[in-house]
Amino acid sequence: MTEKRFYRIGSRPAEIMLPVRGDVPLARRRLPFTRRHLLKWRSRLNPKTLRQERWLADKKPLWWTIALVLLAVSAPFLSNSALTVASIFCIFTAINLLWTLIIGTAGIFSLATLAVVGIGAYASAALNVYLGLPWPLMFLAGGVAGLIVGGFLALPSTRLDGLYYALLTMGFAEICRVFVQQLKPLTPMNGSINNVGSFIPRDWFLQRPGLLLGFAGAFVLMLLALLTFRIVNSERLGMLLQTAREDEAFAEAVGIDYRRARLHVFLISSAGLGVIGAFYAQFYGSISPAVFSLDQLMLLFAMIVIGGLGRAEGAAIGTAIVVLIDKGLLDLGPLRILLVAAIMLAVTLLTHNGLAGARNQFRGWRQRRQSEARARRSEKGGEVMPEEAIEIEDKQAIYYRRFQKRLRDRLKALITPELIEEHRKRPLGQHSDALSRVLNHFRRGEVADKYAILRQSGQFHAYKIVAFSGVRGAPPRLVDDRVYTDINEAYHAVFLLRVNDLMES
Amino acid sequence: MTNTRIFGYADPLCARAGGTVDFMISVEGRETVTPRLVRVLHGDENPEGPGHVEEAVDLALPAEIAVKRQFTQVGSFARAEDPEGRLDGLTSFTLFAHVHPTAPKAERQQIMGRWAIGPSKGFGLGIDPDGHVALWIGDGAHVDEIRTEVTLVPRCWYFVAASFDGASGKAELHLINTVNPWNSRISTVVPFQPDSWIREVLRHRPAATGADASFKLAAATAENPVRGHHGGFLYNGKIDRAGVYDRPLDRAEVEALSRGETPPQDGLLAFWDPTANLGREGVGDTIPDTGPHGIPMQGVNRPVRCMTGFNWRGEDSYRLAPETFGGVHYHDDAMTDCRWEKTFTLALPDDLKSGVYCLRIEAGGGQDSIPFIVRPKAPKAKLALLLPTFTYLAYANEHLSYEAPIAQAITAHTPVLNEEDLEYKKLEEFGLSTYDHHSDGAGCCYSSWRRPIITLRPRYRLPAMNFPWALPADLSLIWWLEHAGYDYDLITDHDLHAEGVDCLKPYKAVMNGTHPEYYSEQMMDATEAYLRTGGRLMYIGGNGYYWVTGTRKDEPHCIEVRKLDTGSRAWQAEPGEGYLACTGQKSGLWRSRGRAPQKIVGLGFTAEGMDESQPFERMPDSYHKRAAWIFEGIGDEEPIGDFGLAAGGAGGIELDRYELGLGTPPHTLLVASTSGHSDNYPLVSEEVTYAFPGRGGTQDAQVRGDMIWFTTPENGACFAAGSIAWSQALPCKGGENNVARIMRNVLNAFLRDGPLPGYRYTGDETLWR
Repeated sequence: MTEKRFYRIGSRPAEIMLPVRGDVPLARRRLPFTRRHLLKWRSRLNPKTLRQERWLADKKPLWWTIALVLLAVSAPFLSNSALTVASIFCIFTAINLLWTLIIGTAGIFSLATLAVVGIGAYASAALNVYLGLPWPLMFLAGGVAGLIVGGFLALPSTRLDGLYYALLTMGFAEICRVFVQQLKPLTPMNGSINNVGSFIPRDWFLQRPGLLLGFAGAFVLMLLALLTFRIVNSERLGMLLQTAREDEAFAEAVGIDYRRARLHVFLISSAGLGVIGAFYAQFYGSISPAVFSLDQLMLLFAMIVIGGLGRAEGAAIGTAIVVLIDKGLLDLGPLRILLVAAIMLAVTLLTHNGLAGARNQFRGWRQRRQSEARARRSEKGGEVMPEEAIEIEDKQAIYYRRFQKRLRDRLKALITPELIEEHRKRPLGQHSDALSRVLNHFRRGEVADKYAILRQSGQFHAYKIVAFSGVRGAPPRLVDDRVYTDINEAYHAVFLLRVNDLMES
Repeated sequence: MTNTRIFGYADPLCARAGGTVDFMISVEGRETVTPRLVRVLHGDENPEGPGHVEEAVDLALPAEIAVKRQFTQVGSFARAEDPEGRLDGLTSFTLFAHVHPTAPKAERQQIMGRWAIGPSKGFGLGIDPDGHVALWIGDGAHVDEIRTEVTLVPRCWYFVAASFDGASGKAELHLINTVNPWNSRISTVVPFQPDSWIREVLRHRPAATGADASFKLAAATAENPVRGHHGGFLYNGKIDRAGVYDRPLDRAEVEALSRGETPPQDGLLAFWDPTANLGREGVGDTIPDTGPHGIPMQGVNRPVRCMTGFNWRGEDSYRLAPETFGGVHYHDDAMTDCRWEKTFTLALPDDLKSGVYCLRIEAGGGQDSIPFIVRPKAPKAKLALLLPTFTYLAYANEHLSYEAPIAQAITAHTPVLNEEDLEYKKLEEFGLSTYDHHSDGAGCCYSSWRRPIITLRPRYRLPAMNFPWALPADLSLIWWLEHAGYDYDLITDHDLHAEGVDCLKPYKAVMNGTHPEYYSEQMMDATEAYLRTGGRLMYIGGNGYYWVTGTRKDEPHCIEVRKLDTGSRAWQAEPGEGYLACTGQKSGLWRSRGRAPQKIVGLGFTAEGMDESQPFERMPDSYHKRAAWIFEGIGDEEPIGDFGLAAGGAGGIELDRYELGLGTPPHTLLVASTSGHSDNYPLVSEEVTYAFPGRGGTQDAQVRGDMIWFTTPENGACFAAGSIAWSQALPCKGGENNVARIMRNVLNAFLRDGPLPGYRYTGDETLWR
């Protein structure tokens, strides 16, 4: 069973460890208005050297910063079409981040995301075009529109369960599309509103500076969405909902009103989506009913599924992949959709929670393989293998294992029917050398799971066999329900149990 | 199991007829209990003996006693006596302490501070559940915290300081490693530099706690509506000097404090220096404040004093270098006084017979028997039975078979537990014995009677041995004295300790219990003086006069012992920590302090085993006319005590040996010995200088119990049978057996006035047959 091969173990540090000095202050900075630290630094005494070392325990902020800086810095060097793709990526990432809040954090399965964006866009565009609202106020208008619609959509969310609510919201999007298309004043434009005012000057539209400004706006929009995501998710609201997600009944019992918290998240996200709608209308200078269409929604859905639900990096990665294929590989034609579908299928089949969860999934898999290999190669109570020794702090315990194993092997050879008979006849007192050795081994064992005898109250000679827990305050467990009416029988029964354990070890 | 839980204890454990005994009772599930008073004559229910024997006592008791649930504070800490609230409502402050944490655990541990756990108010410096040093503050609504990034290494000395500036919210945490070649578990060869200096601006400010908390060392203040205030966030480990400033200190000041320099007075609110009141005769629970305001700390549950401090350099005792013994060891499971409210006071009539009494309280199917010992108002009988109450306390609520892996190897059999044990062990509220370890691995040096003690219940059989031990074992002696018709008074170790030889003087003869193991200097002196002045002592026990034990002058309820260096010791005091905090004496074995038990009673500890006891056999000296009368009625080769309630013989369990080298009086006659012990009786460790095989009963001649006789001045004498099992052989065969015969022979002679039998045979031997 055990492959007796001693592999070399030990590895060099996989990440950069910073030295720590105890004689200079280590200033830990916080994010303003919170008790949170900007970065999750941790220190430890390295068990191999006992030196203090410090490392960044959560590197996600680092990767985010690198990715965002790269995107921002490379933008001026992108071609016009690539710049557009980057801008769309930013917008959709923003949408997906807020959607993730709704589905992931609040746990409300709403498919009305694009509908809210659309309503924000239409409301703000209409106000701008027909009532002359200046463009900066459009964001406010979009946000208010989103908040109102969100409020309406939120009402049934506590009543309807998952799938039904999803269908309801999908229907809502469809109603919006039909409504807009049939709206009399918009019929000439096929339901669209054009010539919407924008933060991009009219004559820069589709020009290089216009595209750059558009990208800058989209980038800022994405940063704002990220900020919203972080604030909601890692502050009080998110914490409450995290508890509720793990156990609704428990959350309720400790006084967390998770339904209210969910509604808050839904409203915040809807307002945000409304603002994105206003931006959307400004970015394109127009808004069309296509925003309500099912295929757009499905693309959005693909982004979330591919990226992985519930995490910011999931929203970004999924959006990046789908936008790149859908908008970047226009030459492929309808194949693009098939490609997206194929990726979506592959991701669903192979990963537990999208691409963002792939790393953890890989780690879990690797850990499982490690422990499988460990289990194959190590024997309970047997010789300690090098890879096990790493985890044993007191190295003497390793020697004890070796010694005990060899001792048990010698003692096993001593167990004979005569020896058992010797014990049965006289459990206490002077014994033969062989029996003394066996007994002394038994008696010196660790307390946990060590056998004892429990006198039954009411009768002097009535005994049952129990085993100690080895933990202060935890009572012994009953081993056998049989009642012995002679103490020597009880001693012998314990002896037989111990012999049995020895022979099986 | 019943749903009524009843526990109680008597204070004092040893009362005097005509006095009073207070009973502290806690009952869950009932409001009243029915009391009954019984005198217990025999405890052990073993069918080979008389069984459980008690007699009802005709004493007017209330029909019912009103009871309630009482709570026990487990864990030791110190509380500041600060009625003026000088340590409350600090806005800017520095807390500092030298600490030696011993057990990081999954709970927060507060080293010092004024923190109300429930309302989250105040400030506290301690160790967070992950093992980091942390300063936490709270204003009742919000809590804020600064903590180190590194964790602490157990059993190393550190200096910790936390400062907070209320104006800017800036907090600083300093952790400075003060490990030197002497003071810690590890030395300076370890490349070990876990210093930490953290600076952070906190969002919130600490609020004044008012009555919600007090300033504590080693605990924070918890509250429960039923129970009231109690200590929580209990800390495990030592705290040396600690103090508080009302301003943030700068780094240079912190470093100076870490080196142990005198704290500057500017802004100093309190400086607790445990070395400041170490006297040559020991120290109490007060940790003095040498700062400007004098705000002393009062220890709860006896924090262990006189422990080595951060600046200790190998001195053996705090008497040699008190300034290096600032360590005060706190334990989260120490318990020396339940501090229950008095439920009921029993007035003992002047003529109440001396004996072991139990207040039996019953309700709803649950019951408890609270034992206490009554001595007569004035000495009445000629014979006194000296019950070893110090030993009773030393073993009180022991956990040996539950926690010590080697217990079964020592006793050589499987423990036999009792069902009533399980409730105690589940609860874990009633403290430890001097045979147990605290949760951080340190030995428990205190044991008190101010708590329910299961090992004192008359029927109780010690699980590790499966026979009665201490008080339940001594009841065999009491039963036999009653049976044999001797009039006797009971006195206890505590009486002897308090009164000295005056306690023994009135008696013609004094008899020891089965196991008088724990002795104070006063008790040694009194026994020696008694024998020197014509007293007659029957030392009929094993492993007596062994551990140097002490109590505080006015607090007899709690004994202290430090187990060290040699002897059969359940734990070993750390270097330098072997002196008793209550008397200033070196603890350990009396033998190590020049007073081996052989010097007083001729015998001293030599072997122990719990598998089988053996009978005594007469030795040639038993035929000498000086002692032959002891064996009247005993055959020449008759085994003496091949029966008994303790492992089936009169010679066993713990055995004592005659040894001239250790001070057995040279004129002692060795009249009988046991033999044939198994190898489960190894020679005790204090006799082992070089270790070599074959020190067990089958190979080593020193493994035996001896019976001796010697005379002392003024017609005094000592008869000693060095075996714990001796007295438990008495009740066998209806109380009429050859062990009892020897007892009668000796007792009859001892109780007679005038010279002892055989006193004339002092001539040189003239053998011509």
